[in-house]
This record gives sequence, structure tokens and C-alpha cells, in this order.
Amino acid sequence: MSSSQKNLKLTRRQYFFIIIQTQIGVGILALPFDLHTAAKQDGWISLIIAWMLLNIILVFLWMLAKKYPEKDYFKIQEFVLTRWVGKTVSALYVIYFSSVGILILLLYSRMISLWVLPNTPYWVLSFMMITISVYIVCCDLITIARIYTMFSALLIFLASLIIYSVKDSKLMYLLPIASNGWGGIITGVDKGIISFLGFLVTLVIYSKVEGSPKDKLKTILYAQFTVFLFYLCIVLVTFTFFSTKEMALVSEPVLYMLKSYQFPIVARIDLFFISIWMVFVATTLSSFLYMAGLGLRRMVNTQQNKWVVFSVGCLFFISSLFIGFDLTKLDRFQTYVVHGGYIFAVGIPLLILLISLFRKNRNKEKTT
Amino acid sequence: MKRLCLIFLVSMLTLTGCWDQRQFKNIKLALSIGVDQGSNGEIVKTVSVPTVSGGGDGGQINETIQTLSTDGHTMLEARDKIDRMLAHSFNPSKMEVVILGEDIAKKDIYPILDNYYRNPNSNLNAHLAIAEGEAKDVLSFKGGGEARISEYLKGILDGAAAASRTTGENLQMICAELVEDGEDFTVPLIKLNEDDNTIKFNGLGLMSGDRYSGVKLSAEQAPLLMLMMGNKGRVAQLTKKVNEHQKEEILDYITVEVMKYNKDLKIHPSEEEVRVDIVLDLDVRVIEYPHDHLVSEKVIDDLNGKLKETLTTEAEEIFSVLQEGNSDVFAIGRKIQAYHPKVWEKLDWEEMYPEVQFNPEINVTIQQHGIVN
Amino acid sequence: MGFFRDLFQREQRTDRRIADESPEPQEPSTRNLSKNIDYILYALKRTEDLKVRILKKGDAALLYFEPLVDQEKVQASIFTPIEIGKVDSIHEIPNAKETRNLEEAVNSLLRGHAIYIEDDNRRISQFNVTSVFNRNVDEPANEKVVRGAHDGFVENIMVNINLVRKRIEHRDLKVKFYRVGKKTNTNLAILYMEGIADPEVILKMEERIKSIDADKVQSPGYIEEFIEDSAWSPFPQMLNTERPDRVVANLMEGRVALFTEGSPTSLIAPSTFFMFYQAPDDYNTRWYTGTFIRLIRLASFLIAIGLPALYIAIVSFHFEVIPDDLIAPIKSSINEIAYPPVFEALVMVVIIELIRESGIRLPSPVGQTIGIVGGLVIGDAVVRAGLVSNVMVIVIALTAISSFVVPSNELSTTLRLLTFPLIGLSATLGFVGLIFGFLFIAVHLTKLESFGVPYFAPIAPLRLTDLKDTFVRLPIFMLKTRPKDAHPLNDKAIEDSRKWKKNEQQSKKP
Repeated sequence: MSSSQKNLKLTRRQYFFIIIQTQIGVGILALPFDLHTAAKQDGWISLIIAWMLLNIILVFLWMLAKKYPEKDYFKIQEFVLTRWVGKTVSALYVIYFSSVGILILLLYSRMISLWVLPNTPYWVLSFMMITISVYIVCCDLITIARIYTMFSALLIFLASLIIYSVKDSKLMYLLPIASNGWGGIITGVDKGIISFLGFLVTLVIYSKVEGSPKDKLKTILYAQFTVFLFYLCIVLVTFTFFSTKEMALVSEPVLYMLKSYQFPIVARIDLFFISIWMVFVATTLSSFLYMAGLGLRRMVNTQQNKWVVFSVGCLFFISSLFIGFDLTKLDRFQTYVVHGGYIFAVGIPLLILLISLFRKNRNKEKTT
Repeated sequence: MKRLCLIFLVSMLTLTGCWDQRQFKNIKLALSIGVDQGSNGEIVKTVSVPTVSGGGDGGQINETIQTLSTDGHTMLEARDKIDRMLAHSFNPSKMEVVILGEDIAKKDIYPILDNYYRNPNSNLNAHLAIAEGEAKDVLSFKGGGEARISEYLKGILDGAAAASRTTGENLQMICAELVEDGEDFTVPLIKLNEDDNTIKFNGLGLMSGDRYSGVKLSAEQAPLLMLMMGNKGRVAQLTKKVNEHQKEEILDYITVEVMKYNKDLKIHPSEEEVRVDIVLDLDVRVIEYPHDHLVSEKVIDDLNGKLKETLTTEAEEIFSVLQEGNSDVFAIGRKIQAYHPKVWEKLDWEEMYPEVQFNPEINVTIQQHGIVN
Repeated sequence: MGFFRDLFQREQRTDRRIADESPEPQEPSTRNLSKNIDYILYALKRTEDLKVRILKKGDAALLYFEPLVDQEKVQASIFTPIEIGKVDSIHEIPNAKETRNLEEAVNSLLRGHAIYIEDDNRRISQFNVTSVFNRNVDEPANEKVVRGAHDGFVENIMVNINLVRKRIEHRDLKVKFYRVGKKTNTNLAILYMEGIADPEVILKMEERIKSIDADKVQSPGYIEEFIEDSAWSPFPQMLNTERPDRVVANLMEGRVALFTEGSPTSLIAPSTFFMFYQAPDDYNTRWYTGTFIRLIRLASFLIAIGLPALYIAIVSFHFEVIPDDLIAPIKSSINEIAYPPVFEALVMVVIIELIRESGIRLPSPVGQTIGIVGGLVIGDAVVRAGLVSNVMVIVIALTAISSFVVPSNELSTTLRLLTFPLIGLSATLGFVGLIFGFLFIAVHLTKLESFGVPYFAPIAPLRLTDLKDTFVRLPIFMLKTRPKDAHPLNDKAIEDSRKWKKNEQQSKKP
């Protein structure tokens, strides 16, 4: 890497695509099903509510990041929470990011095993995935951003496949609206927010993006809107394609839907869809690998990127081996991690924001 | 060192690999599958497996078709038994047609299809049809000009869908209607004609819930039903009697092709009575009418009126057949549930459906009459 | 005043050399003729092709390498002036270059000059009488175009630079010479447009050239491996071309061209992946055609690396994706093949490579015959024998043809090489493996840099405006800015060149 590029900041376009690529990942296949189990045919309303709530959270995260424009999230922690508390929190974050990474790895392998390669052992699938992610991450953020931007072109492909299925959808299946009361919809909001959980990346790499805070906020919200639109598209198409009762039977409705189509040149579109979906899994995993690596680097104060990423990758791989294809363990692990997401992606950042406000006041008092 | 590791890993991957390899050449493809009711509650499964050979040096492709039949408690047990009779193993992932025998179709059909829905490799794009008689006989049929029975059946079903006689739905589309309340579907019926050695499309079987009601619509009625359901295929042709006692019988009839259609379905539900108004506007082109003289406005108006009358009567007949079979192919129930959920909760749809009052109205406008008057 | 200044400055003026030679060892000549000759003979290891002609009855000597000089030139530039009596002494001949350094004399002898030494005189006169054998500037065989310039570089660096300068008559075209190779002493030149090319790239280039420390530098291929960024990457990071028009086009985009003596190939840096897919032909045809051909070429990239792997993945993992109507033909063709598809593919790829390689080495009529015999006879026999299925023959043939579509030979070889890992991956994991393979390649391309410039530009980093000359070729007058990837100092390449249209429209208005 040449010296002139080393300190390049990310453009806002790259920031946009990093956010998108981090959020769109493993979840898209199962999202409609999750929403449906919670809220029946009203899952799409839950998704809209979740997105609205999310925008508020994102503005808070942005406020925190804006206060320290030169520091990345881990440095903010150290600065606001004092050195040792900050480092401890950073360590917790590394664990959290790692768990998310491991979860992604597990879910992805399960999906591939279910749909494409039923006899291939777990370690092969996860090994390939972790190798590609380590290969992506063991360079600068700007290169990662370039890779993500390039792969985003595939989103058009996914979207067009999904939109193709609109021809067989029956709007009737969305009705009646809110027949099961608002209770289900509120539980659905929880599922909806979970599907957006990658949004923490906006905070972590905020300082490495060029542009004024206002522009960056716009980028964040646009990116979020794009992701939301994509999700909504998936949810609406699958909800109208499958009947309400049938949705309860299929846990990966997107693939199931595509399975029944045949084009003159190829049949079984779902196989192509899942192949491209793997690219998005790789980018999501890479993002979490990057964030975990960054946290670890900040913790131990080292610039050695390659080795940190390599060892974190090994950690992902080895610890995921303990769970493998085991369904019950995976489910339990998923519940922990997903709910941990609320603490780490919403709770702690808001807490830090509050403390930083308090500290600022205290500092002011000191100076006066 | 790094490279050594890499070589080690790559070779480990490639040498131990191929866990999921399924060589295409080692697989016998079952292209059509038939299921019948056996004795003692068992099912009889019939598959036709083509074996192709000789395509190697550009010569003729020789195809031999094996039709195997066996009984079993479940679909997969039967499959397992068939596997024992075959070189290599057979694979249903390219199956094109599933034929159900009339008897087994009258029971719950979901359990039979379950393994196709469950297996990620299965082809949900396959057609489903009910055989009048035994599915086994249909699959054992030889002739029809096509090399393979699956191709013949698929051709019949595709042709029927193109001529607006069936919905052309595949297994996947049926699934939604199978599991959902207040929504039924039709399945094409096929019949083996021993006398003139053909298989033919013989109308639509009406499903009631998850089983075949045993009531059917004739192939002549099918296009009108499809039009009312909004399922026009590539062409929709209607041949109707519009005159009485002409010199030749052929002069009594007119054949029209639907150019454009517009349907409007209104449901007026209440707890006591459900009324359904269907208005279907057809813009048609006359494609056969030996009388000629289609110039004057009066003649055309006259024809429009007669067609309207005939078609409306026929539609009423169709609805009475649907109600006889208790087959809600218009998804009236689901629509009530969607748009009038409060009414739906108080309805017992199974009981209510035969009582529903259908008021069809079919308007016909002749727009073109070919290149002669 | 002017006169005095001239006087002083004339002293300082020396001939400009074409290359900055490293400080030469100094060996002052003596007044003794035989001592001088002895020194030179000794320095040149008494090689027997060094001719020493004694003139003026032993008072003077003319030395030259007999194989290097052209006798007629010796006659014309040394003896003719004396004979027609224009000058009295050989030292007085104006086109002589003088020195008093014997080491320099040795070097100029090696360059093919003749040197003249007189007794009792320290002056050494050097005459450029080198014989040059040049072939014609023919069109390079591997970069033929249908329309456009039909000349190509030759083995002489001066002729090559001449070809470039003829096309860019501008003062900004700058040439820098270097000598590389301690024993071969090869002349090397870099050309660039001052004011367009990025100084940082030039600095990098110079630094890398200067750090070459080898006895022998034979060809640009040598230099490429010394100076490219990632020597372990399968992708070529510098564009090789023998076409002057291609070099000129790239110079005008702010890139640097590198020539070496003795090779008709020039290297262009920094290069991007998509440059390998641009051919001069694209710009000589209508732009619709150019776009169409270019899209085909880019599709050939995917076919060349991915088709066999895709086919293998389908027939040994996911035969469900074959549409219904194709099932019977494919099944019948592979049904009785003894080997698994991977093996089939490898056999066919190896056969094709063998045919290609033997076709290159053999004299051209025989080579063509071998190609036909190999292609038709082996292909047919192999299918009849049931070793390889005919679908596989189609797949591999298509792959081979696609790999030759690339207008650059090195990339074509790379593509054929990349097929193998992809075949391996798809034979183990099917589509999943294939996608991983493509992911690796895509990530690798994105990470790759050529002289500090991202290799996969303008896709990664994405620059939408530069796509105008990447996947498509828009009309020339719309290619207003230079591609950003080479960091040109001056962005604007074309100003509004269709002003006449506006003028015409205005004049039409009343």
C-alpha cells in the first residue's frame, strides 16, 4: 500500500456501502419467517416501526460520534469511561463482536448444509468462509470499502430475483391488518430491530469517513433506508407469495419461493440466489471481524493488523466448532447474542453519550 | 512456511472432498411419478425412469423407459423399494409431473406431497394432475407420439394451461391454497382412453379443502371458469350455440377468441347470507361463424346478446357445480377473512359455502371478425 | 558582452549523453601510442575481433570491433574527408567525438564506434560507425488490428522512440534513459508526458529501475518482475504492447512507458485490469460496435475462467439447474463416460494446451496443420472413444477460445491458469466452491495495486464516470476526462469538439 493511500479517508459513498453490506447478511433469508412467527401477516408493520425506532437510535449514536470526530468508538470509550473501564468495555465489545461473527458463521453453515450441501462437514464450510473474510479484512479499511462497494452491485441481482416473484403474489394474504391485535406487532418490532443490528458499524468507523457531520448523518440515514427498503421488499413479496398458514411452514421463504421458478436457461433459481447471498454473508462476517480486530488492536495498543485479524479469525473458527450444526445449542446461543445486541448496540452507546454530556458539563465547571 | 500451510490446507480440502457429489451420469431421473391407493391403506407408487444412451458420437439418442411400480406405507418407503429394482439410484429432483390416482386424491393429499415440499432438491415446478382411474395405468401408457410419458403428460398439461383450461399452477403454488382456509383449487384431470390409445385432458377436478371432492368441471366449461378467475392463458376459445335448428348443425355454433377481458368480483357478506356478484366483460374476436354477414350492427348486437345469455347460464351452471363440490376456487372465504374479518369469525364456511348466492353476469362485445365478414 | 559569455559557456558545454552512466573510472590517455593500444587491448581481454589498423606508417592507429562496424561508414566518415582533402588530419574531422579518457574509449568501442589514436597526442577521436540491422516496423503478429496503424516496435530502442515521437510532436514528451544490467549494459528508456503523468508514479518507477542489480537484463519480462508490485499475483500488473498507437494512447492518459534495447515490447505502468481488455480496434470502429465487442471481450473473461468449473459444478452437484428440455441430451452424452467430469475437464484442458504450445513452436504451416489435426482429430476421437463427453469438448473449446479473446497475451495465459483452482473448488463444493473461488479472485483484484494505483479501477474504487471507457466505449468526443486511476495531473483530455454543431444550429435559426 502506497503512502499516499494509507491515510485516505473513506468517501461517503463507501461509508454508505459498508453500512449496507454489514446489515444485509445472514438475516435476509429468515427475516420474513421471524417476523411472521411474531406478528403473523402484520410482520411488515413491525418492520416499519422497527425502522422508525432505529432512526432515533442512529441519531443518538451520531450525536455521540459527532462529539469526538477524531476518535473511533473504542477510543471514545477509553476517553469517556477513563482508561481501564474503557478497556474493559472494549474487551466486552470484542467478545460481543466475536459472538456475532461466530453466530453468522454458524447460521450460514447451517443454511448451506440445509439447502445445498447436506453432507459436507461443518468445518469445511466455515473454514472457507472464515478464510475469505480474513483475506478481505487483512488490509486497510479503504480496501475493504472498495470491495464492499464492488459487491454491492450484486444487490441489484438479488433484488431483481425477488421482484420477479411479484408476479405470483396475492395481496389478499396481507389482510386482514392487525387482526391478531397489536401485541404480536410489538413482539415483531423486536425481531425487526434485530435484523438491523449491524448498525453499530456506523459508530465504529464514523471517524474514518470524510465530510461534515450533517452529511454523514444523511449518509447513515440513506443507507438505513436502503436496507429497510430491501427488507420491506423481501417481507412483502414473501408474505404475499405464501399464504399466512404456509408461512409458518417455511423457515427460509425467499429461497422457497425462488425454488419453484424455472427460466428457459436455468432452473432452480434458489441455488443461484443462495450462492450470491454467500457474498453478503462474507461481507457481514468481514465487518464483524474487522470490528473485533479493531477493538483488540485498541485494547492492546498495536498496529499489527494482519496478525490480530488472523488470530481473531482463528478464534471465530475454533469456537464455532464447538457448536457446529447442533440446533438446540445454536438456538440458545442465538438468543443470547441477539439480546446482547440491545445492550451493546443501544444500551452502552447511550450510556456513554449520557456520561459524555455529564463530563462535558463537569469540565466546563472546572474551567469556570 | 505460509505457503506450506496453504498447500496442506488446499490438498486437505480437495483430497478429502466431494462429500456431496452426486454425479449426474449415475442418477436415474424419475420424470413422472404416479401415486395410487393400494390395499390395506398402503400406497402404490409408480415411476417412469428413462435411460438414455448413445448420444456420445452424435448418433441417435436411444431411450428406454422403465416403468416401475411398488407399494409402501409412505412415499419414501416406496421410493426405497423402487431403488432396489434400479441400477444406481433414482432421483425425483427433475420430476415433471405428479399424477394422483382418483382414489388417493379423495383422501388428504398433503402427506403424499410432504416429502417433495421438505426436500430442498425436489422440483416444485412440477405439475400435479389427477388421473381418472389409476395413475399406474396412465404412466404405463405407451404411444401418443412422444418418446416419454412424462413429456406427453407435460405437453398435455402445458397445452391445457395455454388454452386457458387450467391455472397452470405448479406444486408450489398449490401449497398455499392447500393449507389455507377458505381457499380451494382445481386440479387438471387426465384420462386414459384405452380405445383410441390416447391420454386426454378431461376437465378440472375440484378440490375441497385438502382432498378431491369427486366433482368435476368438463373441459368445455374450464375456459369460462379460468376467465372468471382471471387466469387467461395464451388463448381462450369459446364455442357456443347461438342459433337453433339451422340447416346444418354446424351453422348453430359460433367460436370466439377472447382478446381482452375484465372481471369484477364483489362479495357482499353478512352473517346470514353471502352474495357474490361477478361481472365479466369479454372483448372477443369471431374466429369461426359460417353464417358470415357480420357487417351489420344488428347482427353483431344480436350475437352479443345471445352469447351473453348462453355464457351467463353456463356460468351459473359452473357455480352450482362448484358448490356441489364445496370447492371455493374463487377464494371467497379467504377474501371475506381478509376484507371482513368480523363476519368471517362468525361464519362456518364449510356450511355456508354451498349456500352462497352467485350472480354472474357475462358481457360479450365482438370487436373483430377475422378477414372476411 | 555576449561574445564573452559565449566564450565561457562554450568551454562548459559537452555532448549530452543518452543515459546517465555511473561515474566512469578515469584512465587518462598517454602520449605513447603503443601504451594506449596496449591498455585498450588489455581491457578488452585481447579479443580477436578487435581490429587494429596502423595508419601513418605506424604513427597512428584506428581501432574498432570488426563485427560491430559498417565498413562503408568507416570509409565515408573517416577516409573520404581525408581523400577529398577537406581536412588534413583525422583528428580534424568534425563529426568525431573527442576524449582523453581511455576507459571511455573502451566503452565506445563496445558500442560499435571506431577510435583513432595518434602517437604523441593524447586526443582520442571516436567515430560512430556502428552497423545497424533493423527489421521493418511491421505489425506485431500477436496484436493485429483490422483498421488502424499497422506498424509495430522493433528491437532498436531509438527506432521505437522515433515511432512514439512521430506521433506526439509535443515538447512535453519526456524521455529518460537508464543503463541496467551490470554485464549486458542494456539501454532502457522511460517515456511519459510531463504535466500529465503523476510525478509520484515516475518517482516510484525511477526508484525501482535504479534498484535493479543484476548482471543481465534481457527483456521487459525481466524488468517487469523486478519492478512490479506483487510478484506473487497471477495477474500481470504492467501492460505489454508492441503497438506504438497503444503506447501513445496510454502516454496521453498519464501513464509511463518503458522500453529496452533489443526488445520490441514496451511495458506500460500503472495499468489496470480493464486496460488489458481495451484494444486499439475499439477506437477505430463505430462506437456501438466498439462497445459490443468490448462487452463480448469482458464476457470472455468470465467464460474463460468460470465455464468449465460451472459445468462441473452442475453435472456433479446441482443437475437440478439444467432446464427440463436439456436433461436428455446432456444425460445421454455423459452417461457412458468412464471418468468423472473433473478428470474429463483436466484431460481436455491439457490436450488444448499441448496443441497450443506445439503450434507455437513449429514452423507456421506445420503449426496450423497440428492445430487442425489436434483439434479435429483428437477431439473427435476422444469423444468416440468415450473418454470425454461431447458437451465437455464444447465447454473446453469455448473456454480456450475465450481465453484467446483477450488482446493481451499475458492475461490470456493467466486466465487459462486460473481455470484450474476454480475447477478444483467446484469439484469439491459445487456452486459454493465456485463462488468462493470468484470471491477470492475479486478480492485479490481489488487489493492489487500497480505502482500505487488500484488495479481494479474503475470498479473498485468505483468511479462511475470512468466506466464510460471500461464496459462500454462511448463516442470519443464524450471521453472528455482522462481516467482517474493513473492520477493524471491534468484531467481534461478533450474540450468541446463538436462546437460546430451548435454553431450550425444557431446559424439555421433566423
